[in-house]
Amino acid sequence: MSKLATWARLKSPWVLHFNSGACNGCDIEVIALLTPRYDVERFGIKLEGSPRHADVLLTTGSVTKQCAERLKRIYEQMPEPKFVVAIGACACSGGVFKGNYNVLDGVDKVIPVNVYIPGCPPKPEAIIDGVVKLLNSVKEAKPNGK
Amino acid sequence: MVVDLWFVFRVLVFPGFTFIFFFTMFCDWMERKIEARMQNRVGPAFTGPAGILQPFADIIKLLSKEDIIPSGAKRNVFRLAPILAFSFVVFAFSFLPIDGSAVIPNSSFAGDLIFVMALITIANFFLFLSGWASSNPYGDIGATRVLTQFLGYDIPLTLLALAPAFIAGSLTISVIAANQYLPFAILAPWAFVLFIVTLQAELEKDPFDIPHAESEVIGGLETEFGGGKLAFLRLTRDVQIVFGAALVVELFLGGPYGPVFFGLPELWYFLWFVLKILAVVLITEYVTCLFARLRIDQVLSGNWKVLLPLSVLSLALTVAVATWIYPLVM
Repeated sequence: MSKLATWARLKSPWVLHFNSGACNGCDIEVIALLTPRYDVERFGIKLEGSPRHADVLLTTGSVTKQCAERLKRIYEQMPEPKFVVAIGACACSGGVFKGNYNVLDGVDKVIPVNVYIPGCPPKPEAIIDGVVKLLNSVKEAKPNGK
Repeated sequence: MVVDLWFVFRVLVFPGFTFIFFFTMFCDWMERKIEARMQNRVGPAFTGPAGILQPFADIIKLLSKEDIIPSGAKRNVFRLAPILAFSFVVFAFSFLPIDGSAVIPNSSFAGDLIFVMALITIANFFLFLSGWASSNPYGDIGATRVLTQFLGYDIPLTLLALAPAFIAGSLTISVIAANQYLPFAILAPWAFVLFIVTLQAELEKDPFDIPHAESEVIGGLETEFGGGKLAFLRLTRDVQIVFGAALVVELFLGGPYGPVFFGLPELWYFLWFVLKILAVVLITEYVTCLFARLRIDQVLSGNWKVLLPLSVLSLALTVAVATWIYPLVM
């Protein structure tokens, strides 16, 4: 039974996209995943509007102090098992905004992160590669949170 | 006892619940593939051969997820409404003749067309309740949009369903289906086209997918639903799409009846039924891909000012033609 659930989890990761103060560069690359050229629906990946529907949170941006609370709340609204992907240099470590007075230098200061995808912005191929690595880790590891 | 087992088999396995479930999953896969191809994409490709298991993966994943009930939600309604909506649609399905007779044997009675359409209305009302009970602004907007849109399309849909009923001279679905030596889509094409248009509104597909317009109201009435309850809401919508297609087949395309070449007629009827449903699903999905979403006020005024007069006209035309012209020709 758990084998079936894992198979289903691997084959249908629905993603939610959250911008925590990015310059929109990474967001354009995330949206490019859904276009005919990359078409991640091949792998069953669907962009959902509501955190209640999502399995994977794609976060971009260096998490401004104002956004941190919202980011945490959206993460808490997602049902278990849930995974977080930090997309872009800003989401990984703060990027060019590192040390700025109004940012928290990366998503992992607020919520646990499963996969980091560096780049400014990362190419869609890199994002797909990151999500594949995440899915491979799901095969063995337990989801975070619990 | 043997009769009882046969009854259980028909209701639960074929052509009952199991068949409807698997066929719905297949139609869902086909829709996603068509939509992807229309957008120059590939669509689900790696879940089973050509991605055919994608809907199963989605449903199993949703069922295995955490079940959240928001603190502000009406707990019982929130939990029950999606399941009730799903079961009402499946119940309505069991009155349609799938392989020559209805799923529940001898369940057809005079006027079951009206009864089945009432069941679908109740299912829509449960969809409204599920959104309303979630106590989320987006859920509320989605739910009220379901009802507002419903006010517009329900009367035209019933009026248009009366056209084949009038030509067949009966309100019983099996009699209407059996009376079509020439499909009513050819005898009354005006009602057929209008019925498909109105059905798009009933099924909440483009250009009428306002209740769950993603870019405006997140997930509409589904916004607060996750896990198993979301699985049931998605299933309700998918079964509704297949049910709508089945209703078109029964009313306008001659139901399950078609040429029988050899062997059991039931198998051929079943084959024709499935092929006709797939054709109708193809048409509705084509329309969905071609048209952009309308606004709620455009839909409502369009339904009352255009669709309702047109459906009354179509009924009048059907009555006139069926009474005076067809007896001269046939």
